[in-house]
Amino acid sequence: MEHFLTWLQHSLGKGAGDTAQSWSEALLESLNFWELLEGTHLLGLVLFVGTILVVDLRLLGVIFRRTKVSVISDTILPLTVFGFVFVVATGVGLVFAKPLLYYHSIWFRLKMILLALALLNILVFHSRIQKSQGAWDAEPVPPGKVRAAAAISLLGWFAVITCGRFIAYDWFECGKPQPSFINTVEACKASEQGAYTLEGKRL
Amino acid sequence: MSINLEQFFPAARPWVENLVNVWPTPYVKPNFAFWEVGHVLSLIALGGATILMNLRLIGVGLTQEPPSEIFRNLRVVQSAGVVGIVLTGVLIGMANAERLYDSAAFIVKLLGLIGGLILTYGVSRTTAAAEGRVSTAAKAWFVLGMAFWLAALVVFATGGLIAPGIWHVITAAALLVLFVTRGRTRIVYAGVLAVLVLVQELVPRMIYPSERTDLDPISVSLAVIIPAWIVATALVQFFRAGQGEEGGPLTKIIGCATILVWLTSAAAGRWIAFA
Repeated sequence: MEHFLTWLQHSLGKGAGDTAQSWSEALLESLNFWELLEGTHLLGLVLFVGTILVVDLRLLGVIFRRTKVSVISDTILPLTVFGFVFVVATGVGLVFAKPLLYYHSIWFRLKMILLALALLNILVFHSRIQKSQGAWDAEPVPPGKVRAAAAISLLGWFAVITCGRFIAYDWFECGKPQPSFINTVEACKASEQGAYTLEGKRL
Repeated sequence: MSINLEQFFPAARPWVENLVNVWPTPYVKPNFAFWEVGHVLSLIALGGATILMNLRLIGVGLTQEPPSEIFRNLRVVQSAGVVGIVLTGVLIGMANAERLYDSAAFIVKLLGLIGGLILTYGVSRTTAAAEGRVSTAAKAWFVLGMAFWLAALVVFATGGLIAPGIWHVITAAALLVLFVTRGRTRIVYAGVLAVLVLVQELVPRMIYPSERTDLDPISVSLAVIIPAWIVATALVQFFRAGQGEEGGPLTKIIGCATILVWLTSAAAGRWIAFA
């Protein structure tokens, strides 16, 4: 993986000459494109998670108690999917600009795990819990299992956002003296910066 | 042209520099990232509620319920988002005051915030509560809110290094109009927009493959033509639909403006970090 990401960051698309840049480097150092990607990622997130928030609050029985769950979800979820497409497309672009940094970030790894769990929660909701929707569709407060899925969803997305924001901080960056647990989780030994113990010894 | 707070309040620099020592900033600064997360989560609450409430005013989205029902259910979420972004924004701002003092993007954010508060609390919410009917007071607030938003857009578009950020607003407006148009109007709108974007991307490169500065007149022209096309299409759509039971063209314009003013403020906030 390390070799692949190094190739992706430093070699893919690189032309001849000393000043030639790979596509990844060109994206990162572009005049405005990276900034536009980053800004769009945030705005897409507002649409994506903002609409999930409203649906989950209905499932929790907090808002729209007089409106059927199916009315809320069927109307809002297309907007959610639209937001998700933006978030994923821009997210892939952002990772492409700094693949090695993301690969060795504990926050990015945690974000990916939480993202997978949040998507799994959606899958479980649609494949199992939603099957009985006819019985609780018009209920002001849906049954416990539905509310539990909504609560997990909200907590999961908030955690994903938290990890995403923390990626920008270098608290646990490879090359810094830090606990061996962090070095292991981030696979720092294989990184350009290397792995250092709390005593400053290179592993 | 690029403006910042220092130009308006040049004597305030010592005060601004000292904000980092004023309570509660010494407690905020070490936990800056957590306050940033709070800011983003507040923005999400505000965004989700604002988008759905105002799409309903435009006549799309949750049309199975009347606008007043959407307002009644989302007002607390929306207000929680507003309180959250202001509270966390003030704390983050105090911990980062010198950067904001010199930032044109911060001016855009402030103008957008004021415009957003006026359009939300003076216009959009009262209009939704009245099932789309726009009162005289709401019309007056609308004029004031639009003035702040347009000022924000002018500062954004002419703000030098932050100017590319205006494309967030243009893109969102383009997608919003695509979402609210119907039938042949939507096809014509999308087709012309696609051609304009292609022209923007391809023609300048073919005409001036190496002279980047010569691209400026074309880029500026397209930066006017594309928004003009988006706004014109929206207006044609809204006026053609006429006055309905849940408001007329002005109600729909209020819906669009309220979504986009908050988006302007959010985009400018991100560009504070970039330029």
